[in-house]
Amino acid sequence: MPVIFINGEAVETGEHRTVLQAALANGFYVPHFCWHPELSIVGNCRVCVVEQEGRGVNIACNMPVVDGMRVQTDSEPVRAQRKAMLQFILLNHPVDCGICDKAGECTLQDYHYAYNGEPALSQDPKLHSTKFYPLSDRIILDNERCILCSRCVRFTREVSQSNVLGIEYRGDSALVRPAEDRTLDDDPYSDNVIDICPVGALLSRSFLYQARAWYLEPTPSVCPGCARGCTVQLWHRKPEWRVKGLDPRHNTRILRVTPLENPRVNGPWICNKGRDLGGALERPRAEVAMLKGEPVTTTRAIEAARELIRASGRRVALVSSGGSNEELRAFHSALVANFTTFVKPDHLPQDGEVVEDDLLIRADKNPNTRAARSLFGDSPTEISADTELVLVWGEGADFGAFPRGAKIVLLGSWLAPENGYADVFIPLSIQTERRGHYTNFQGVVSAFEPCCWRPDGVIDAETLFPLLAAPPGSTA
Amino acid sequence: MTGRKVLMDFEVTADSHTLAAYRARGGYRALAKALQTMRPRDVTQEVVDSGIQGRGGAAFPAGRKWQGIDPDDGQPHYLIANADEGEPGTFKDRWVLEFDPHALLESMLLASYALGVRHAFVYIRGEYDRPWRRLDAAVEEAYAEGLFGENILGSGFACDLFVFRGAGAYVCGEASSLLGSIEGTRAYPRNRPPRMTVRGLYQAPTVVNNVETLASVAWIVRNGARAFREIGTEKSPGTRLISVSGHIRKPGVYEVELGYSWAKFLHEDCGGLLCNKALKAVIPGGISSAVLTGKDAKVLTAGEVEDLTLDHEKLRAAGSSLGSGGMIVIAEGTCMVRLLQIMLRFYHHESCGQCTPCREGTGWMHRVIDRIVAGQGRPEDIDTLYHVARFNDGTTICGLGDAAGYAATAMLDNFRDEFEYFIEHRHSKFGGNLECR
Repeated sequence: MPVIFINGEAVETGEHRTVLQAALANGFYVPHFCWHPELSIVGNCRVCVVEQEGRGVNIACNMPVVDGMRVQTDSEPVRAQRKAMLQFILLNHPVDCGICDKAGECTLQDYHYAYNGEPALSQDPKLHSTKFYPLSDRIILDNERCILCSRCVRFTREVSQSNVLGIEYRGDSALVRPAEDRTLDDDPYSDNVIDICPVGALLSRSFLYQARAWYLEPTPSVCPGCARGCTVQLWHRKPEWRVKGLDPRHNTRILRVTPLENPRVNGPWICNKGRDLGGALERPRAEVAMLKGEPVTTTRAIEAARELIRASGRRVALVSSGGSNEELRAFHSALVANFTTFVKPDHLPQDGEVVEDDLLIRADKNPNTRAARSLFGDSPTEISADTELVLVWGEGADFGAFPRGAKIVLLGSWLAPENGYADVFIPLSIQTERRGHYTNFQGVVSAFEPCCWRPDGVIDAETLFPLLAAPPGSTA
Repeated sequence: MTGRKVLMDFEVTADSHTLAAYRARGGYRALAKALQTMRPRDVTQEVVDSGIQGRGGAAFPAGRKWQGIDPDDGQPHYLIANADEGEPGTFKDRWVLEFDPHALLESMLLASYALGVRHAFVYIRGEYDRPWRRLDAAVEEAYAEGLFGENILGSGFACDLFVFRGAGAYVCGEASSLLGSIEGTRAYPRNRPPRMTVRGLYQAPTVVNNVETLASVAWIVRNGARAFREIGTEKSPGTRLISVSGHIRKPGVYEVELGYSWAKFLHEDCGGLLCNKALKAVIPGGISSAVLTGKDAKVLTAGEVEDLTLDHEKLRAAGSSLGSGGMIVIAEGTCMVRLLQIMLRFYHHESCGQCTPCREGTGWMHRVIDRIVAGQGRPEDIDTLYHVARFNDGTTICGLGDAAGYAATAMLDNFRDEFEYFIEHRHSKFGGNLECR
């Protein structure tokens, strides 16, 4: 394996690596804009320069490692060139950090302070370009902020392969534009370009002006949108930045969802459906237990469910393929003896949704089918006519297919007409209110953490199942 | 008389560009000789021995470039004749394409044989209409005679040629970005490494040569490397086609034996300057003379020109190069500030916009010089131009950004007083004059 010397320190690297990769992998930070580990090398920002002994200053992203080579990542010529490149980049880039959504997460802002930090050399007015060009229903482009690193263009060519974006015109008139009147709506992964844009040129319409980056904190989670189970970060307001004057929902909303890089599952990407997870979690919640549509306490509803389980003859349970590994195990250990159990999909592909592709999106729109089937088998659901009780956990069950007269216990999280139709309805917590794990279709287990408080009256499924298994009247 | 000839050694007539005329002056004999008596590596060795340097601007030894390809490595190889002659002031390849296209085609067959190329390309400037029509007709003639296609001259050697018309951007003629243009993507220059002889067109080893360089190969194979070496100087063998324009009585394309006296060339062969003006400066090889050499080429002043000969080593020693062979003659009384404005407008307009320093720097310099010419210059503008030029030098993917910087520094180094005068008085020392009156 080649050994190179970075700032005098010997570093062992793999074959066919670049100096930039070797440096980053060994804790030597080399600033960069256009380079991205998942995209091809174009070397156009010219910021990732290093000084190679005997060969001068050159870009590290396209510099192959050669055994014994010596590079300096922060020498005087390197700093001078970085400073000059930042002066070039900032020549026409508006310094509108005060209203830019990327402020606080912008590498141009960081590098300017690290390597330049001086007033502009040019006293001439900056060039103006298109502000807020609509790339899609989800994304707008501010060409004045664009530094033409071409990460977004390469993403649509190399990763999502929608080939939507290109660059038109030349020189400092060059603009990122959709190719031949297409829009980024054609790309189910389009929002990743917002993340990989190193400046605030590509903006999410849903997140625009919603919050400053430093008001927010991320919670690691798993996208429940399909069997891929992409790891994500749910961004919400930090407790210390909650404002009393705001609508309480605004203080606790999931303001954006971004990928949590995971090489085994989704790399650094997620699809647009995953980005919309925050909105999906804002559906009206079911917070009150019910007996035949009449509100009762959760304790009373649990007691009623126990009685039904005890009193019924043939019992069938439809378990959720969206339950966590822990919840599924809790059901298995507590209730599997009481029920003939089938795994049901909570969600099926919706109209217009990408059913499956070669990148991330899976046809199974439930996050934990594999774990559920490993516990409960994969037999197709059969509810015989003599079934007296059906326990439904989660969504997606067709009550019309149940035998006439069978009692129904429904465990769900969202307001739905079926809640009032069930004999017993018990509200469950949702993913953002509890801790757990999903097993994706490949068998990779990913964890999610809570970021919101459970409403009163709502119970975790993991807590509920042992209670349902206890004899009526017990306090267990 | 500009010395011995390699390419222009025949009289141009109405049909001298045809196959029949080319055959009559010995055309395609070199191909027959090579296919019958030489191995592919022998052809490459002949080119190496000739010492011919690239005629596109970089002056890199053509034979060494060819040696970068192993004809027997089992991979597909490509050969591209770069006929995208977009350098301002340069139109010498046009002469070959219009008046001697078969010399190029025969040479490309020889190169293809040497390099193991099955498919060769000519990437011709889209704006070159007559040269393209002549070339296209020549290709048709050659195919009709079985000089391209399968089993050429019964040797078993096969080669096809594609003529590809360029997209009209200057940067399309940059050797690596024309690959993108052929492949159907945007013509952006490519980072090196890898070299094109390692990974070029369609990711395969590729040789890109200038038209003049390639066109000389047939002569070299026909007459031998030694004969070629006898022309020119020891370190700059052969001849150069030079296109002369500007304030000169007899502009046009000339073939000059390397080592020829520059003063003699200008004052005798080209008829001297227009309006009997004195020589102020010469841009030696297209306004981007140093694009590919990476040297600090400059505009040569009248005094420097008088003592120079036309060859690589002398020009290199003078801090310039023969570049693309596009010589622009500038007479006394010309406003160098406005001339630089025109040059920087060109670079700004033609910068592809891929890499930061060129994209922003060319526009920056253009706006500064525009302001100076508009009478709103500031004393610090000269430092700004130097600053931008310095950080365009060697920091860009291709040479266009470098060239823009060279143009600015060359003008400022040699004619700084004109710039200072313009800024201080808010008008030109020479009335903004660009014409010879």
